Amino acid sequence: MESLINEIKLKLIDALNLDGMTPEDIDNDAPLFGDEGLGLDSIDVLELIVLLERNYGIRLASPQEGKKVFQSVAVMADYVAANRTK
Amino acid sequence: MLTIKQFASIPAGTDLTALYRARVGDYPKFFKMDTACKLGFLLAEELADEPRFTPREDRAVLMFSTHGCLCNDRHYEETVQDFPSPSLFVYTLPNIITGEIAIRNKYAGETSAYVLERFDPAVFAGLVEQAFQDVVTASALCGWVDCRADDDYTAFAFLVERDGDGKAFNTENIYGILDQ
Repeated sequence: MESLINEIKLKLIDALNLDGMTPEDIDNDAPLFGDEGLGLDSIDVLELIVLLERNYGIRLASPQEGKKVFQSVAVMADYVAANRTK
Repeated sequence: MLTIKQFASIPAGTDLTALYRARVGDYPKFFKMDTACKLGFLLAEELADEPRFTPREDRAVLMFSTHGCLCNDRHYEETVQDFPSPSLFVYTLPNIITGEIAIRNKYAGETSAYVLERFDPAVFAGLVEQAFQDVVTASALCGWVDCRADDDYTAFAFLVERDGDGKAFNTENIYGILDQ
């Protein structure tokens, strides 16, 4: 799971153009959205949806599902491990 | 009379991430910003008041440049053929620099972004002066953040106030400070 978490962090950094950020800057359990964690906003959700689809063959059924999946990198990794098709 | 309270600049080629880590470190949204926003953000950090984050309506933020957000526009254009990046798209307006600064510092005064043909201290000072024509504005963070490429830019800012103790905010003193 740790390698998947690290992989997702790298893909997040690339997809969201987080220039200068390293995986070590992202806490596994920190919220991705809002001021407390990574500071992402609603615009970034689109990038995350595409990231899941392109890299793991996962299509989210609804925005509500995204709210649950994109809580943190650890939650994302659990979801990817359980639902990936590639 | 408008006076200069503080001045800050960032030399071209500065490692902005290293500067952020050394001076700020607690605002992950920094990594999302394009280079122009990072420059404006870091200049504003240098010129921020203590105590930090006190909401104020009397602080204007004015940013000037020649190239606007062209540097980020190019990055965004590169993504258009594949998947137009929303996270880059949001930085394709030059006034987002003033917005990022205002949000971070809780400045609720006027914000303006000007794209000029070239840097002209007289025009620069004149436009800043106009921002003080209302009865609310008591100070302004005003900067020239001209980002030609990610490693090629001119970035400096003045904190200007009404009737302060510093030098007059005029063409002569602007040149004098920039020549140092």
